[in-house]
Amino acid sequence: MNHAIISCLHANLPAVEAVLNDIDRQGIKTITCLGDLVGYGPQPNEVVELIRKRGIATCQGCWDEDIIDGLNACECSYPSQLAERRGHLAHQWTDDQLTDENKSFLANLPTSLRRDRLLFVHGSPNSQHEYLLPDMDAFAALERVETAGADILFCGHTHQPYVRELRGGSIHVRLQNADHDSGQREELTLPMRKIVNAGSVGEPRHGTTNATYVIHNDATDEVEIKEVAYDVGRTCQAIVEAGLPKVFAWRLSHGFEFAEQAEDASHVCER
Amino acid sequence: MSQTWLISGSPGCGKTSWILKTMLSHPGACGYLRLDGHSDIGLEQASNSGIDQAFLKDQIPQLLDLSETQYASRSQQDDLLALIELPQFHSPQHVDLAGIDPRIKNQLEALQLHPDRHLHFGRDHELPSKDKLEFKKLESLNLSLNRSVWDPPSLNTFWFELVNGAYGDVYRAKALMNLPDGRSMFFNWIVSQESSQFFPLQEISAPNGRPASLSELVVQGKHLDCLRIQSTIDLCLLNDAVLEMHQMPLRDQQKEAIPLS
Repeated sequence: MNHAIISCLHANLPAVEAVLNDIDRQGIKTITCLGDLVGYGPQPNEVVELIRKRGIATCQGCWDEDIIDGLNACECSYPSQLAERRGHLAHQWTDDQLTDENKSFLANLPTSLRRDRLLFVHGSPNSQHEYLLPDMDAFAALERVETAGADILFCGHTHQPYVRELRGGSIHVRLQNADHDSGQREELTLPMRKIVNAGSVGEPRHGTTNATYVIHNDATDEVEIKEVAYDVGRTCQAIVEAGLPKVFAWRLSHGFEFAEQAEDASHVCER
Repeated sequence: MSQTWLISGSPGCGKTSWILKTMLSHPGACGYLRLDGHSDIGLEQASNSGIDQAFLKDQIPQLLDLSETQYASRSQQDDLLALIELPQFHSPQHVDLAGIDPRIKNQLEALQLHPDRHLHFGRDHELPSKDKLEFKKLESLNLSLNRSVWDPPSLNTFWFELVNGAYGDVYRAKALMNLPDGRSMFFNWIVSQESSQFFPLQEISAPNGRPASLSELVVQGKHLDCLRIQSTIDLCLLNDAVLEMHQMPLRDQQKEAIPLS
């Protein structure tokens, strides 16, 4: 059976509506959302309410967490001073706009969702703020999936969709008692694991302005990355009218691949 | 025998790059002067920022400054190649020296400089022509950034946004920018090029507070949103406390690197 995974909606209502329509047209009934319902975009309440109304299973993203925990939730995850200051502007604006009811909804979202051997998170199993980039070291990537006890890890956060298959993984084990090394060594070969990044519905950064999401078939494990065009101009106009930084509209209207990355993308805040 | 050439052309045609290349291949002494040029209807010249002079001086430390009178008199010396850069939108109506604008002639006279050649980009074939652009309308923005130090990743983002049109249609941008580790970077971009050029200057300041070296940004284009450019720059520059956070470990590293006697 096919199910859809969406992520990083970022208060972009036209994009969310277009993606949900696309999913509905295919008759897909199960949708999982990987968080970041708000932030940067101009319609945070409308997006949260649409997700609530549709009863879409959702885990908490970094923006959803920060809007509840405050600006100090993880300042160190900003890749630059400029990104941090712009992020603060967007945070303050979003905080002012969101209703208490919608804040409460975001506050109560789980950090991960599990369905059998499938794990759904925003950033990584470690943190909503960790980026699992497509070129991340294979050992570290495999470690994230394996220690979370998943066959397939669905994530977002990077705004760049990808499917990464981790084959040929193995673990070397040396057995050691409390007082001596038994000398017994074992090599365990791991079955293939997958990381599937759903990209972003509301703020794509993969080279086009199209929203992205993924469809996974849980019988065949086939994954398809989908792109959906939407009325980008409508969102850009709403950003400007809302008084958010114009550069957010400019960025959205270009869908640049360029994205700021922290020096250590896998950094995990230890607040 | 000394030579004095006037090199003119529209913004971004490659005057400074050609001058650098020519000077580097000249065996004798070199002198340089950049004139402001004159605006035309709808075509605004960038004011003389000193970026080109500072960049060339960094690349050729013995470069003579032709604006200083004592050096103008040295133009009579053997082997001196004196190159005068002039931003000029339109091709001169007459060839060679007869094509020099009388206003420019007066400026040169005042500095006792007497060109024996005038080459214009787009007209004279010995100059490259790949970056020749025809401008019908051009606005210019010149921002002094002296003593400002950038957060490096923010600078990267700002430059990307600037040359990709986030603040208007930019045709030409160049800058000297200070980094917290004491380096100064020359940024150079023209719309006809595929990518920006980034050159670290050879002279590096000590990571000890704000550097004294020249830092400026020149942008030319259409519909430039100067206020947003300035406000974005403000978000990118380091305050004293953060600058100190960057520089303190660098100073400590330098101390550790000094061997004990």
